[in-house]
Amino acid sequence: MKQSLILGQRALRETLRTPDSLLPTLLIPLFFLVVNVGQAARIFPSAGTDFLKGQNYAAFQLPSSLLVAASFGSAALYLVEEVEGGYFDKLRATPIPRMAIAFGRLYAELVKMLVLGAVMVLMALPFGVRIEGGILGFVALIVVIALWSVVFSGIMQVVALKSRSAAATQSASLVFFPLLFVTPNFVPRHLLTRPMEIAATVNPVTYVMEGARSLILDGFDGPALLRAFVVIAAAGALMTWLTVRTINSYD
Amino acid sequence: MTAAIIAEQLIKTYRGRSGEVEAVRGVDLHVAAGEVFGFLGPNGAGKSTTVRMLTTLMTITSGTARVAGFDVATQPHETRRRIGVALQEAGLDNRQTGRELLVLQARLFGMGRSESVERAQELLEWVGLIEAADRTVKGYSGGMKRRLDLASALVHEPEVLFLDEPTTGLDPASRLAVWDEVRRINALGTTVFLTTQYLEEADQLCNRIAIIDGGTIVRRGTPSELKDDLRQRLQLDHEPTLDDVFLDATGRSRQRVAGDVQEIHA
Repeated sequence: MKQSLILGQRALRETLRTPDSLLPTLLIPLFFLVVNVGQAARIFPSAGTDFLKGQNYAAFQLPSSLLVAASFGSAALYLVEEVEGGYFDKLRATPIPRMAIAFGRLYAELVKMLVLGAVMVLMALPFGVRIEGGILGFVALIVVIALWSVVFSGIMQVVALKSRSAAATQSASLVFFPLLFVTPNFVPRHLLTRPMEIAATVNPVTYVMEGARSLILDGFDGPALLRAFVVIAAAGALMTWLTVRTINSYD
Repeated sequence: MTAAIIAEQLIKTYRGRSGEVEAVRGVDLHVAAGEVFGFLGPNGAGKSTTVRMLTTLMTITSGTARVAGFDVATQPHETRRRIGVALQEAGLDNRQTGRELLVLQARLFGMGRSESVERAQELLEWVGLIEAADRTVKGYSGGMKRRLDLASALVHEPEVLFLDEPTTGLDPASRLAVWDEVRRINALGTTVFLTTQYLEEADQLCNRIAIIDGGTIVRRGTPSELKDDLRQRLQLDHEPTLDDVFLDATGRSRQRVAGDVQEIHA
């Protein structure tokens, strides 16, 4: 744990040293938000659209953009760069648990996404988005998104360790995009076509999105939040198991 | 004399694209504490694979190895606490400064914050990088990176230092600087296990050498023993060089073309 924190601080220092690397994480999701709201806001006016619960369409779309941001983690790319450059071996030759090397970068991802997520939500507020859950709802929303970014980055790190290739790692991150769009991204699940509803129901990202969305539109919806945290915990446990297994058997 | 490294019948096989590859085929090593041991061989001979096994970075297919008194396979943490490792192509984090990198390394070896800062300062002075200490490693020259890599391998005062081709790619001046560092490190009592392709380097620095080819050790001894052996065996009327020993041991011959040495298979 201590070694993960030490390595996490290093990763954060690197992030602060290259602030331009954060711009895509912030700007691309905001671009998606603006474009999606611009295209669909007139179809779903707040007055006549029940699922918006009196808010505008940006409030409904915000969780999707936050999840896009959560998929922009740089941990895996930095890790594979260190594998290719030899610094990963330097760290492996120190007397620390090897999983600390991977978890150090995930700690940095957590902190980074807490900050970026908060910035994105704060940027959405002037456009009429309200967080129905209040301050606590705001905190819970950011935590859900940040934890999901850790899970996603962790899985990408496993790909990085298995492939040892920046190109393969980058390609693997594109797998997330279909998962993000096979969700109740534009309308709630019950309004999707039947095949899409089935696909969204089996997609774990759906529950993270619905949990995050409930904090914005409903306040604290216990079952929705519980489902989100169960998905995050299960995916996190799988990611941790894969990480430990992969890094300990790395030859 | 106490042994710093003992390896018995080390074997490493892995699955390659064209089937099973036997990279190291039964290597035995005995390196005494306090010596500079040279491990020579052509590209792909098994040098780096052997080093990676001895430094716990690669699993051992069969055989045993003890470094600084600990079994590398069953006691990897204890082994890592006692070894320093500087691998091929100085593995450094280019986004950190030299000082940050050394402080981090010291902290990973369990030192406290202030102790790590002090140790980093000592080492930066030792390898002559004080002026560049607060610049990011990205801007360092090849020689500076090598010296920083050496410093990072020494942060915890290891008993055994592994240097894998420490001067490959360096200009002659930087190479001489690294040689001086190796001598200074060894003078402090650290055992040095050095792999190199440069025979002059081995001749200058090593008390004893082993030559590996095709995954097995084909010669071992002091540089002068190996040269004497070759002179007697081939009944040469001149003193052979370590180049001659190497070429003889690895079954290669040479042609001199415009002052360059080209290796060709016999």
